[in-house]
Amino acid sequence: MDVPGVFPEPLPPQVFTTGAQLLDLTDKKLVIVLRDGRKLIGTLRSYDQYANLVLQDTIERLYSKNLYADVPRGCYIVRGENVLLLGEIDLDKEDDTPLKQATVDEIYDAQRAENAYKKQREKKKAKKLHSLGFEAENELIL
Amino acid sequence: MADTENGTSAVAEPLDLVRLSLDEVVFVKLRGDRELRGRLHAYDSHCNLVLGEVEETIYVVDEDDDDTIRTVKKNSEMLFVRGDSVVIIATTT
Amino acid sequence: MLFFSFFKTLVDHEVTIELKNDLSIRGTLKSVDQFLNIKLDEIQVVDEVKYPHLSAVKNVFIRGSVVRYVHLPANAVDTTLLEDATRREAAAQANKAK
Repeated sequence: MDVPGVFPEPLPPQVFTTGAQLLDLTDKKLVIVLRDGRKLIGTLRSYDQYANLVLQDTIERLYSKNLYADVPRGCYIVRGENVLLLGEIDLDKEDDTPLKQATVDEIYDAQRAENAYKKQREKKKAKKLHSLGFEAENELIL
Repeated sequence: MADTENGTSAVAEPLDLVRLSLDEVVFVKLRGDRELRGRLHAYDSHCNLVLGEVEETIYVVDEDDDDTIRTVKKNSEMLFVRGDSVVIIATTT
Repeated sequence: MLFFSFFKTLVDHEVTIELKNDLSIRGTLKSVDQFLNIKLDEIQVVDEVKYPHLSAVKNVFIRGSVVRYVHLPANAVDTTLLEDATRREAAAQANKAK
């Protein structure tokens, strides 16, 4: 479908499809960031052209400030539209993180306080800017 | 309609107006409290855009200072804008 | 198809992708597909302290639908060529509509 002669630079030989892009990531350890802000870590075993994913040995990693905690989740099928990004984890760098491991409950408590404040700010901001004729973006958190 | 075939001057649908703004400075209003001003180099039917010499204005609400609205300016030499964020494209004169 | 072709010409250039959740990732554009999903290599998160979950990540696949901006190097873009291609695409679309 390319318009011939429009972009004359020579193209590299890779195939520009969703499948080709995800093929390189298959069987790798990935971090998957979802639209609701959740972070999953698992091995990509299968996918399709919509970037629907199958993840094996998945854990969900929770973050709060300089703390993190892991929750084992097992096998996941993720619908593509909920995926924000996939990142390949560098296994050499994986362990030198400045973060400290905490218990799930500690993270939940910290997150609850953070989120309540954030939500309140967001509400105030949306109301204020609405008067200027602005509309909020589709809900995306991280 | 004959003119649109040649891609020249006739305005038959909204995006034809955008076509007439190619290589002109346009104002773009976006979702998420943002505005852009820059030279239009490309667009498509989804309102995906490429703008050059862009000035972005972001409207933020100050946390402490009595919730006043403040603007933050950012510049970019060449910017691709995803169409689903675009609210308004306006010509500037 | 215009922007798909356009991004293909930018392969191996350094770009910064800003997502709709304000996360900015800088890296080398390696691949793009028809949905404008993008793969970046040797990535660096602009505000790394705020997004620690990407600190050990070397390359990313970003879903096109979550992109707000892609900051491009101006010298990699031939604006005259791009404007011509845009007019051609617009004309092709108008013909298709009839």
